Amino acid sequence: MTVAFAFLAGMTLVSALGVVLSRNVVHSALFMSGSFLGIAGYFVMLNAPALAAFQVLIYVGAVTVVILFGIMFTQRPQVRRYRTIINRQSWWGFFVAAGVGTFLAYVLANEDWGSTSAGNGPRDVAGFGRDLLGVSAGSGVFVLLFEVASVLLLVAIVAAIVVSRRKTGEGVDRGVRE
Amino acid sequence: MQTVGQQLIIAAIPVLPALIFFVLALFGRLLRVNAQYVAILGVTVSLVFSSFALLWVAGLLPGEADGSPIEFSVNWIDLGAGGSFSMGVYIDGLAAMMLVVVCFVSLMIQLYSGAFMDGDRRFAWYYAVLNLFTASMLGLVLAPNFIELYVFWELVGLCSYLLIGHWFEKPSARDAALKAFIVTRIGDAALFIGIIIFWAQTGTTSFDGISEAAQAGFIGSSLLTAAIVLVFIGAVGKSAQFPLHVWLPDAMEGPTPVSALIHAATMVAAGVYLVARTYDIFVQSEQAMLVVAYVGGFTALMAATMALVKRDIKRVVAYSTVSQLGYMMLGLGLGSYTAGVFHLYNHAFFKALLFLCAGSIIHAMDSYNLFEMGGLRQRMPLTFWTMVIAGLSLAGIFPFSGFWSKDAIVASTYDEHYYVLFGMALITVFLTAFYIFRAIFLAFTGEPRTEGARVAVESPGIMVGPMVILAFLSVVSGWIGIPDSFRLPIKDYFAQLVVPSEFARETLGLEAHPFSLALAAVSVAAALVGIGLAYALYVQKPERAGALSRRFSGLYTFLDKGWYFDALYGATFVRAARYLGRLARGFDREVLVGGLTGGVGRLVSGFGEFLRRLQTGGVQNYALFILLSVLIIGIIVGAQYAFLVFALIVLATITAFAVGSRL
Amino acid sequence: MPPIPPQLQQIIDALTAAPPLESYLVVGAILFAIGAWGALVRRNAVVIFMCVELMINAVNLTLVAFADYLPNAGGLGVSYAVLVIAIAAAEIAVGLAIVLAVFRTRRTVNVDEITSMRG
Repeated sequence: MTVAFAFLAGMTLVSALGVVLSRNVVHSALFMSGSFLGIAGYFVMLNAPALAAFQVLIYVGAVTVVILFGIMFTQRPQVRRYRTIINRQSWWGFFVAAGVGTFLAYVLANEDWGSTSAGNGPRDVAGFGRDLLGVSAGSGVFVLLFEVASVLLLVAIVAAIVVSRRKTGEGVDRGVRE
Repeated sequence: MQTVGQQLIIAAIPVLPALIFFVLALFGRLLRVNAQYVAILGVTVSLVFSSFALLWVAGLLPGEADGSPIEFSVNWIDLGAGGSFSMGVYIDGLAAMMLVVVCFVSLMIQLYSGAFMDGDRRFAWYYAVLNLFTASMLGLVLAPNFIELYVFWELVGLCSYLLIGHWFEKPSARDAALKAFIVTRIGDAALFIGIIIFWAQTGTTSFDGISEAAQAGFIGSSLLTAAIVLVFIGAVGKSAQFPLHVWLPDAMEGPTPVSALIHAATMVAAGVYLVARTYDIFVQSEQAMLVVAYVGGFTALMAATMALVKRDIKRVVAYSTVSQLGYMMLGLGLGSYTAGVFHLYNHAFFKALLFLCAGSIIHAMDSYNLFEMGGLRQRMPLTFWTMVIAGLSLAGIFPFSGFWSKDAIVASTYDEHYYVLFGMALITVFLTAFYIFRAIFLAFTGEPRTEGARVAVESPGIMVGPMVILAFLSVVSGWIGIPDSFRLPIKDYFAQLVVPSEFARETLGLEAHPFSLALAAVSVAAALVGIGLAYALYVQKPERAGALSRRFSGLYTFLDKGWYFDALYGATFVRAARYLGRLARGFDREVLVGGLTGGVGRLVSGFGEFLRRLQTGGVQNYALFILLSVLIIGIIVGAQYAFLVFALIVLATITAFAVGSRL
Repeated sequence: MPPIPPQLQQIIDALTAAPPLESYLVVGAILFAIGAWGALVRRNAVVIFMCVELMINAVNLTLVAFADYLPNAGGLGVSYAVLVIAIAAAEIAVGLAIVLAVFRTRRTVNVDEITSMRG
């Protein structure tokens, strides 16, 4: 397990760094999906296989594709220098982010979480489903949350269509510009 | 004074004119000319009630009236351990007499003003303030303690200011009103300090209380004298005695009926009234009494000299007022309480009449200048005869009213062995007769000197009526005070009604002097010499007066400029005050407005400009700041070292500014 | 199978033991930090979105780790993680629509050039 953990950690974090530091946007997108796959592996290790399936389906599948579509519509040629993709607050941002990360890691690692033992997650899909529907003990609120999430998705669909609608009189997208 | 109804009647005496003030102030524009009827109604009712009070105090009413003073009061401010102040009423003979005089003269003036102020732009407001003044003066007369007196004292001063400045479109009227207010303010400040001293030493402000406490020795004798002199300075300011006399001649800028009411009969009498009311306190200090007497005597002489050379008829009468008030102070200072108050009473009538006659001439001719008048005797006979009667009364000719009171004062100076004061008083008698008949002869005899004088007509009936009534009173008002030694059917009612208290009489220890025919003859003779001289200079050979004034031109200018008092005050106090005013204005403009408030504004806007640099418009900058803040807050919450936290906060703030200004 | 020697058994035990809870949390924290750095630093709006997704995934990881390791939590963290995934998907949709709309008018997805709220 430790081996798997270390491997997945390396995959996730290196892919994340690839997202941030890659000069090609498409490479960034692919690195991102690599990171997602690492997270999915973690979910399997944490006894939530159904969630891992969701992660792969939605993130690696749908979100990555949507991002790629977005890249396609807002294309830019590959750049040569880092200056073009990284803005002026790179060092400040680095220190602040590093500070936040360190702080979080420090607090989380040194907090006393009580008796912990692996293996408390819902192993089977049926139990997971009952949790989500608010049927099993202690999860009554999820009835509401589930419905709210579905409304939210509906609203998001409508909003996405409305916001990105082409108004009358606008020209066709020029697409690639060299 | 026990039933509520009777108390209400007494309380209504000042309250009714005050109510009229409010009514006229609010609805004056609707009422216009009818304002005078409302006002006259109010004052008449007050007069009736005042007569009721007078009869009560004189013991002439059937029933419970037994001649004792009316007094009742209500607790106004209660400071617990600090003491309490009450508002109330105290009417003895003196107060009752003053109430009737004030109401009566006010009524005459308001009748007269209906024609004099006809067509004035602020007719109803004039009547409103006139009624407020009447109410304040009545309240002052009723006051049983210093605090209530001071309240009404100030109100009276305010009304004087408003009325002098009634025609405030004229800059001279504005200046005169301010001058009157500021000069009397000096007196008022001294009065207030005196009140505070009394209150601090004795714990009470009522006249009786202070008098008893002073007798019991609560106040050291030098402190007592000082406090009394301070109170007297207040009276000096209000009654225009030396050295605070400079405002009264300038106050003639106001309408003539106002001068008649306020600056002849009532308000300036308030100072004399104060001394009379607090007589029990005054008699306890011999030095204070001497101060009163000498100030009064000197003022009488000084003002009479200044009146000799004036061209403006109102100013002649104004200086005459100052001089006569000096007489009253002289009488009170010597211990002749009854004589001083008697002169106050008589003077109210003939001085008001003199002013009304002057107003009648002004109404007819539209000019104040004596040297533009002349020969008005044929054209305005009623004015002429009433003015002659008033002049004779003023000069103190037997048997007019002025004789009885003025002679009593002059005689008392001789009887009490104050020969310097006697000399001053006698000379003043001579000068008084001279200047008033100079004015009468210049105005009414000879040939008209200008076109205006040629076409002048007698004034309307509503103006002449009060003048005739006052002329009648100028003759007979003194007859209720004829000493008993004449063995006339009329007794000396006045001396029975208005007497100093037992205590005052004992302290003064004066014997009553019988009426002295010799002294009376001397003072009448002096007056007749004065009248004769005026006749010689202005009727027989008018050019003699002009020649005299040119021969003694230096003296003439000295007298005309009021002994250069105005110039003196102007060069010293006024300049200093103006300088301080400029300083204050400069400080206000530069330091307070420019520096402090402007500076705060500039500071804030500067800081805002500085902070503006944080708003770069870049979302990632904002995100950086947010994340940074989250980090800081997290560290603060988890940190255990306060210094570390503080250093981190400072670092973060500097970082934010640095980042923001560069991005 | 031959008996495994004890040292090897120890190593195998160590290698096959479940990692402590803190390690998952630390990985989540580091992932979050990397995502935050990227969101602050990159100029391309779409890449910023990707970094935000990284942060969200870090949060999900933490949630599920707690769900698995805390016996009294009832394993509900997993359900919360599902909802977070749903919300993130909705956010991506709307966000990209906005980026497209901005791109149409300004012809750029460089967030440094969109500073009309300056001052």
